[in-house]
Amino acid sequence: MPITYEMMKRSTAQLYEWSLRKVPDDTLEALRRAREAETNVVAQRTLGILLRSAEMAETQDRLVCSDSGVPTYTIAIGTGVRLEGDIRRAIVDGFEELVATTNPPLLKHVTNPLTNERGYQGKDMPLVTWDIADGADHVDIICQPKALGSGRWAALEIFTFPSLEQIERYVMECVLKAGSQHCPPVNIGVGIGGSFDHCAKMAAKATLRPYGTVNPEPILAAMEERLLKAVNATGFGPMGTGGDTTALGVHIDYCAGHGFTPVAVAFNCWINRRTRAKLYEDGRLERIE
Amino acid sequence: MEEIRRVRMPLSREDALSLHAGDMVLLDGELVITAGLPTCQRLAECVEGRRELPRPLDGVGLFHLGSYSREAPGGGFEVLYMNPTTSTRFNALMPGLIRGFGLTAVGGKGGLDAACVNAMREVGCVYFSFVGGGAPLLSDAIREVVSVHWNDLVSHYRLVTLRVEALGPVTVGIDAHGNSLYGDLSQAATDRMPAIMAELGRERDEAEHMR
Repeated sequence: MPITYEMMKRSTAQLYEWSLRKVPDDTLEALRRAREAETNVVAQRTLGILLRSAEMAETQDRLVCSDSGVPTYTIAIGTGVRLEGDIRRAIVDGFEELVATTNPPLLKHVTNPLTNERGYQGKDMPLVTWDIADGADHVDIICQPKALGSGRWAALEIFTFPSLEQIERYVMECVLKAGSQHCPPVNIGVGIGGSFDHCAKMAAKATLRPYGTVNPEPILAAMEERLLKAVNATGFGPMGTGGDTTALGVHIDYCAGHGFTPVAVAFNCWINRRTRAKLYEDGRLERIE
Repeated sequence: MEEIRRVRMPLSREDALSLHAGDMVLLDGELVITAGLPTCQRLAECVEGRRELPRPLDGVGLFHLGSYSREAPGGGFEVLYMNPTTSTRFNALMPGLIRGFGLTAVGGKGGLDAACVNAMREVGCVYFSFVGGGAPLLSDAIREVVSVHWNDLVSHYRLVTLRVEALGPVTVGIDAHGNSLYGDLSQAATDRMPAIMAELGRERDEAEHMR
């Protein structure tokens, strides 16, 4: 049996609902470790409040944040999978049905950038990035609602043959500019290379990597480690009111390009919203996180 | 851990002046909230006498908190949840509102700029930092929806007055004496940058040496 419009509609909507209620386990663990390590009393307490909010949301089935953001999906279709029906339409319809039925109702965050009018629908919404997974027998779906708090501070600049120092300096400039405003402690995603659009996507996708995983590229593994220390040396702290924990992780990806080298920096707020599941042809939705 | 101080809202000028940047407090009483830029633009028009205020705002606490409000089955309104939004979006409008209404408290998350800090010092007003992503915790402190105005706007833009009990803890991000954690932290981070870059360079050399 192929994966149908109905399965896709149900699954994408389900992932969005999950992501609003559950802080990922790796993130909770990182927050707990940060609270242990904090030397600033206000920061320790603030981290405690964040953890309590996450726990209440999960155990009481409530929204962690009132800003449910706009839905973004990264979808990889396995080459072993058959599809039937309007799969893109299914995601649009799934979101439409979700906002009509979910409890509590969501605020209207989908914004027409030409008029600033807000609603539940808009051109090209939900935002979807499509990919192909060779040999896979399922569709891999990641949902990452994106809101203003952290979405506002992403940035990209194009260099020519930059040194590692130039790249690191740019990341630090972005961190300084965001300052106290992106609901720290944040997850920082960095993309290096490729082209303008590809680099931005790499940075956004880099934020999906769980905390504690090691970059397979040794140059980047070392860069991640020293940048995390550097970011936390700024002192902005949890919620930007001071402390040792401004970021919980720096995750970097790269790809080859020409000598013009884009560097993109993206931020996830402390909630680090993401859910991921595999959808199989028999309709089974296996939740990964 | 010592007990967290509770303050009555709207703050008396005396209470506002007694708070210092970095203090943590719990809020009891009445506060006015909105997450809307169009709402604050309307409020600025009220200050200039170009629009009528739906409720008096003299000396109140006005916060950048968004909420989902809807008409309750038995009449009136209910608020299902609330949470702060980024205050710096309102930088340009806040000095006029702080002076115009003589606000005793403002707040949200992320702080306000130096022009706002000056207005707050002049008037005797503090800034409270609410935790972002604290919806369950913050919403449970709501005891009553006192009023909801400007219902032509989307829910989180409306001007909502709430009665709360033990809302927080919130951190005093900016006090009425001109001290701003945000300004201080940003300056400290900028000052620290040469040392941070030097350390990055040292570790980069070390990593290259290892390869």
